[in-house]
Amino acid sequence: MLELLSLTPILKGLIVLAIAGFTFPITGVYLFRLNLLPMRFMLMHGAILGGAMALAFQINPFWTTISVNLLLVLFMAKTSRSMKTDAGQISTFFMVISISLAFIFIYKFNVPAKDTLTLLWGNLFTLSWTEVTGIGLFGVILVGFQYYFRRQLRALFFDREIAFTSGIDESHLYYAVVLLIAITVALAMKLIGALLLDALLLLPPIIASFRSRSLRGMIIGSAIWGGCFAIGGFLLSIAIDIPASSSIAALASVAFIIIYLIRNK
Amino acid sequence: MEHSLIVKLKAQTVFSSDQHWLYPLFELEDYLKQSDTIASDLFLSDKIAGKAAACLIVFLGIKKCHIELLSERAIPVFEANGITFTYEHLVDHIQCRTEDLITDKMSISDAYLFLRKRAGRVQGLSVKLENVSVRIDEKLVIDHLHLDLGRGEQLIIHGANGAGKTTLLRTMLGFIPIAEGTIKIGDYLVGSDLWKQNRSIIGYVHQENINNNFPISSGEVVQIGLGKSRISKSETEYRIEVAMRRTGSFHLFKQPYHTLSGGEKQRVSLARCLCQNARVFLLDEPTSFLDQQGKEDLLILLSELSLNEAPSMILVSHDLQWIEQLKWPRKELKGGRLC
Repeated sequence: MLELLSLTPILKGLIVLAIAGFTFPITGVYLFRLNLLPMRFMLMHGAILGGAMALAFQINPFWTTISVNLLLVLFMAKTSRSMKTDAGQISTFFMVISISLAFIFIYKFNVPAKDTLTLLWGNLFTLSWTEVTGIGLFGVILVGFQYYFRRQLRALFFDREIAFTSGIDESHLYYAVVLLIAITVALAMKLIGALLLDALLLLPPIIASFRSRSLRGMIIGSAIWGGCFAIGGFLLSIAIDIPASSSIAALASVAFIIIYLIRNK
Repeated sequence: MEHSLIVKLKAQTVFSSDQHWLYPLFELEDYLKQSDTIASDLFLSDKIAGKAAACLIVFLGIKKCHIELLSERAIPVFEANGITFTYEHLVDHIQCRTEDLITDKMSISDAYLFLRKRAGRVQGLSVKLENVSVRIDEKLVIDHLHLDLGRGEQLIIHGANGAGKTTLLRTMLGFIPIAEGTIKIGDYLVGSDLWKQNRSIIGYVHQENINNNFPISSGEVVQIGLGKSRISKSETEYRIEVAMRRTGSFHLFKQPYHTLSGGEKQRVSLARCLCQNARVFLLDEPTSFLDQQGKEDLLILLSELSLNEAPSMILVSHDLQWIEQLKWPRKELKGGRLC
């Protein structure tokens, strides 16, 4: 099995999954705490729109997807605030708009729908070194952000109004968190696909939350579980020859069931 | 320099002050808080003392004193509280407006708090609402409301459900825009850039969200009060401990916040406001989820806070039985106005 790691795409895949596994669940914690779960559907559909646009205009789908998601998040946050409407409702609206626009692009520019929908299951082994470096840098930014703003984030997740009255700039912090979520979702889609990204993003924080007594514990627990699922799932996929995304999701799900049963015993 | 106040412990001077009016006695209070000296062991010599000074001397716990010029009005205060005193000259009254303002109905604690406010030694800031109107979904909820609360004063706002009590508090916090009028907290105009930079002067205790099960310890909740200030770890720990001890919640430091009882949560929330160094406390229905014991504990805690830190406090509640016991001034919010 180890000789496979001498193959550059496999090695890159392992490196990227390890980075993503240890760092992406941080934004999963953010998603939970800010009750932004509907937003991730918007981002998934936004990624399909980005993919369709990239194929239509023959530009880099990786960066286009990220850009589209960032724009969607900015629109969502701005609209939600100005209309004083729940972010979940607004993201549902943008989700529908995104997918409709995606199909308009697919139809009008004769984009093969099959190529666009490959985003739904990711393509871990086609990453360039630039993309690997980009994901690595993003992982560092994510960890740095969490560390530097840990106190403000704790206040934001505990109660936004209390954070505001304590002098914390909760509004900008909220936007920053939402932007990080957007980038993470776009990257996770690229790595393991839209349908399975929850295994990397959400299952680790859920498992970590079973025993955590603090945000710090939840973040560290999520990162450890995420890293284990990513690396373990990757090795499992090589060992039994199944797609990496499926093995990560399967491993995370089995771990979730076992831990859940132990907890409720 | 000749001192107006000299305090001795076994013939040795341990404190002196050359300030005027009642300030030497307040300085003595600070000294006593910082030192291990027992006030009843001290002997105090003052140039002049009226009823106000007598009340302060009693409050500080001094048992023996000598006054050069003593007002007759001070004597009943000393006698009623077992103070051993001597004097050189006795006068009907001293030329001080403050002495006239201390009424016989005031307890020593009431007089102390009154004098602190008069001396500007309260943490609280004034709260001034002028002609404030607030609309929510086109409905006028607050209608040209006026409110003037002095530094370190307390006020209970009561009224029926839906009268706009919470809206009023949230407007003061800047959560709800004002349709008309102005709100000033101290010198800060709510909504201004200066206020945005200093909005932590208001501590907010809202109705407890019972669904909030975020994994956070009580100590971490109190730490939120420090906002984005970057202070050393030891200073952080010190400020949290002091605030939690003040509200009798330090033993809950490591406990997950969501496992606390309603009363314990209120203690932790008030500690958060103290840690924040808030100078105005806004409390929204603080008894909502409290049992009888919790309500009694909160009553004591708020009374202690108003006496010691003396922040300005506005409390909204519809629990008439409970607010009756708090004995703070009350106003009813009716038709969008206070009456």
